[in-house]
Amino acid sequence: MDTLHSASHPVDRAVEITRVAEHIWHALEDDQVVGRGDAVSRSGGRLFISVDAWHDTVFDRVVSAMLRDLPRPLHVVVDEADGEAAVRWGRAGFVIGRRETGYLVPTDPHVTGLGSVRPPSDVTIVPAGGADEQLLRAVDRVIREEVEATVGWHTMPTEVIPLPPGVTVVDPAKFAVAAQGSEYVAMLRLAGRVQQPRIGLLAVRAGRRRRGIGRALLAHSLGVLHDQGTESAWAEVDQTNAAAVALFEGVGAERAGGTLELVRR
Amino acid sequence: MSRANGGIEVEGKVIECLRSAMFTVELENGHKVLAHISGKVRKNFIKIYLEDRVLVELSPYDLTRGRIVFRYRN
Repeated sequence: MDTLHSASHPVDRAVEITRVAEHIWHALEDDQVVGRGDAVSRSGGRLFISVDAWHDTVFDRVVSAMLRDLPRPLHVVVDEADGEAAVRWGRAGFVIGRRETGYLVPTDPHVTGLGSVRPPSDVTIVPAGGADEQLLRAVDRVIREEVEATVGWHTMPTEVIPLPPGVTVVDPAKFAVAAQGSEYVAMLRLAGRVQQPRIGLLAVRAGRRRRGIGRALLAHSLGVLHDQGTESAWAEVDQTNAAAVALFEGVGAERAGGTLELVRR
Repeated sequence: MSRANGGIEVEGKVIECLRSAMFTVELENGHKVLAHISGKVRKNFIKIYLEDRVLVELSPYDLTRGRIVFRYRN
């Protein structure tokens, strides 16, 4: 257990920073918790931290304690619109590592221009709920291996988690897939709520890209949503992924917020 | 209402999504507070939408301010 003391708190009382568990820090003032720090290990071994405090001085002290106690690099997620949070973390030396833009994706084919889009002749789209679970797990595993072998997990959103060999978690009800021959070559995961579904993943196997398969899968899924009366879906896109940005902005998706992943090396 | 880790936590409903990642939350007692998303919720990529039921930790220094520490499944 580690502690720090501060006399510079706005209400002029001593604040004690205590590491209460391996990944939890508390800022205590008169035995009251006035700030909290939390760390969690995510995909690719990235260590993410968060700090909640009512005053900047407490915030800074909790961050200092965590920086001292934890190995680097450390990662933080903040809303792009939350300028104050970015400034606070910037004081501690955190800089932007990734930028993810949130898009509202229209579903109306008259807006998206996807009404006439079809997959290549040798590819068929299998709607959500209709995928064979074994084949779905197989393509999920292949795509994960491709990520590891190419761009690496550190480039992926934090909620896309690497899994141990042999372990895949896929729910056929949430995935539409593109089938070619006896295997699946692309998958789109749709989750979230009825009024605001979220495209959580759109992935095409490396050797099958640039043939319009991802676009056809997107056209199918948005068309289904439109037929169900849903006007838009939510999607997050890494801004360095030029192909994904072009795909979503090309169907009329509007930027509606964003997330910054800050890094302290 | 409950007390957790020294803070007062109250359930409420998001009635307005503001800029700068802030929200107006109407508490069970009818009071409205200005709330931001806690770092812990943010870290887990949990999205907050209009009319979501949430748990808000009120600031002990200003009871009109709070942070969203949990989003209930509707």
